[in-house]
Amino acid sequence: MSYLATSHFLDDNEFVDKYLYSMRTGELDLSWMDAATKEVHCTSANERRGLTFRDLDVDGYGFSDLPEVVRENRCYAPRGAEIPDGVPDMQAGVNRSSDVWAYNVEGYVEEAMSRQWDATTDIAWTELQEAELPEEIGKAYAQLLTFLTEVEMIATDVPAKWMGQVNADFIEVKNFIALQAMDEARHAEVFRKRALSTGYGLMRASVQNEYNLKFLRDAETFSEASVTLHLQAEGNVLTLFRFSEYISPTDADKKMFRLVMQDEARHVGYGMQHLKWLIKHNPECRETLHAHLEEAENFLFGSIFANEVFEPFVILSGKGLKKENIDKGLVITGMFQMRQTEEYFERLDKCGLTDRRERSRLHEVYELTKQGLAAQGAI
Amino acid sequence: MKVDFPSTSFFEALKDRMAQEQDRFTKLGYFDTTFGVTVVGPGEQRRNYLLNFEVYECMGAREIDNLEGEDPDFVLEADIAQWQDMLRNIQSNGGADTDHGINTLTHFGEGMKVIYDDPERHDKLFRFSESIQEYFDLAADLQIEYAS
Repeated sequence: MSYLATSHFLDDNEFVDKYLYSMRTGELDLSWMDAATKEVHCTSANERRGLTFRDLDVDGYGFSDLPEVVRENRCYAPRGAEIPDGVPDMQAGVNRSSDVWAYNVEGYVEEAMSRQWDATTDIAWTELQEAELPEEIGKAYAQLLTFLTEVEMIATDVPAKWMGQVNADFIEVKNFIALQAMDEARHAEVFRKRALSTGYGLMRASVQNEYNLKFLRDAETFSEASVTLHLQAEGNVLTLFRFSEYISPTDADKKMFRLVMQDEARHVGYGMQHLKWLIKHNPECRETLHAHLEEAENFLFGSIFANEVFEPFVILSGKGLKKENIDKGLVITGMFQMRQTEEYFERLDKCGLTDRRERSRLHEVYELTKQGLAAQGAI
Repeated sequence: MKVDFPSTSFFEALKDRMAQEQDRFTKLGYFDTTFGVTVVGPGEQRRNYLLNFEVYECMGAREIDNLEGEDPDFVLEADIAQWQDMLRNIQSNGGADTDHGINTLTHFGEGMKVIYDDPERHDKLFRFSESIQEYFDLAADLQIEYAS
């Protein structure tokens, strides 16, 4: 217990007497009824949608008038409430709009809330228990699920780590990352359940991947964490989920990947909208972002070519371990990795980081992969 | 009642089915996108449909000459044989099997192409992936008359 109250209320006779007096006489203070706040009556713009955060964007409470730097609110007073003198400084570490805000963040929160699902009951587990996979496919799939569980655990921890750091005035962002933590926890749950229902259990964690996860977790600013987690890592994982759906052995596995893909695409959406906001409102951050992405791409390259990550893809996409399966798997995996890289740079272009492509060594690898696949007649 | 594929009446029949299945689509969540469907027939003849979804419903489905002027989030484009194969599969299984889902068909663009200008709006195909799949799966019990 490191934080102690500045007053011992139970020993404060004046405080206790006031309480007893109110209880005895029924005399109330009621000064809070004259709080210096606006009276408003918000209603749903669309009744079918319900009352959304966007409907609350009104004078005195809304997000449209948020300043770049929030100085007034240093505590958990909800935006728009009167903040009395003497509240403690909760020391939120993220107090600039440009560090967290995203276009349409209020829309992403509502979509996230509305599209929650349940890993325990929304997947046809009985159908999956009956599905038998050949040993090499089953083991490769269990290894992929092990990797995905590792990834989703860090994706839960990163937004959770930042949640308490974000100033309470950015309630829409706080809610979005709270829902993201929920989404990622559900992904870790569903992949663990699927791994343990294959008959093979979990396989092996990956050293290179763990280094990448540590890098993701230890970003020094929210924006650095966001550009690498939401945009780079989750963008890659989104392509991976689509690929996993593509190679999934059963209808129930496909549904599982469609459901996780929806959540992941929403997180990527937030990441893109935040990066666009950041670059527009704080353009001098570009060089810092480039430096962070340079290292992020290095870690990513190490991670995707780790044996525990790369080899299951090859086996699953080639559908086996025979030479012809491996040859086919290498081509499909190469195409998948090209797609991942293409979409990563496409998203950065759209956000205004158009020079990343020419500065990135990952893009050189992309060009080499493309040439290799072209030489094989695969593309 | 039989509906022709491709036709506006086919997509309107799916819209009606979706309205009847409100609980199922409400559980899946908000579904806010406008996307195009292009069916490429013999001689590269194209028939284009614009499908508009809002909250939990399909708000409209109409045939148009040119999708470009309508600014859809993305367009699903395939030749008529591919669309028919997908729909026949949905009908025989009560929903798309592992080889006939929208993501599987579009992933490498082998069976079906996804055309888009904007990667953010392209991502709506994934944000609403299950809703889109279940929308097409509603064709399972339609009586479809396929164009030859």
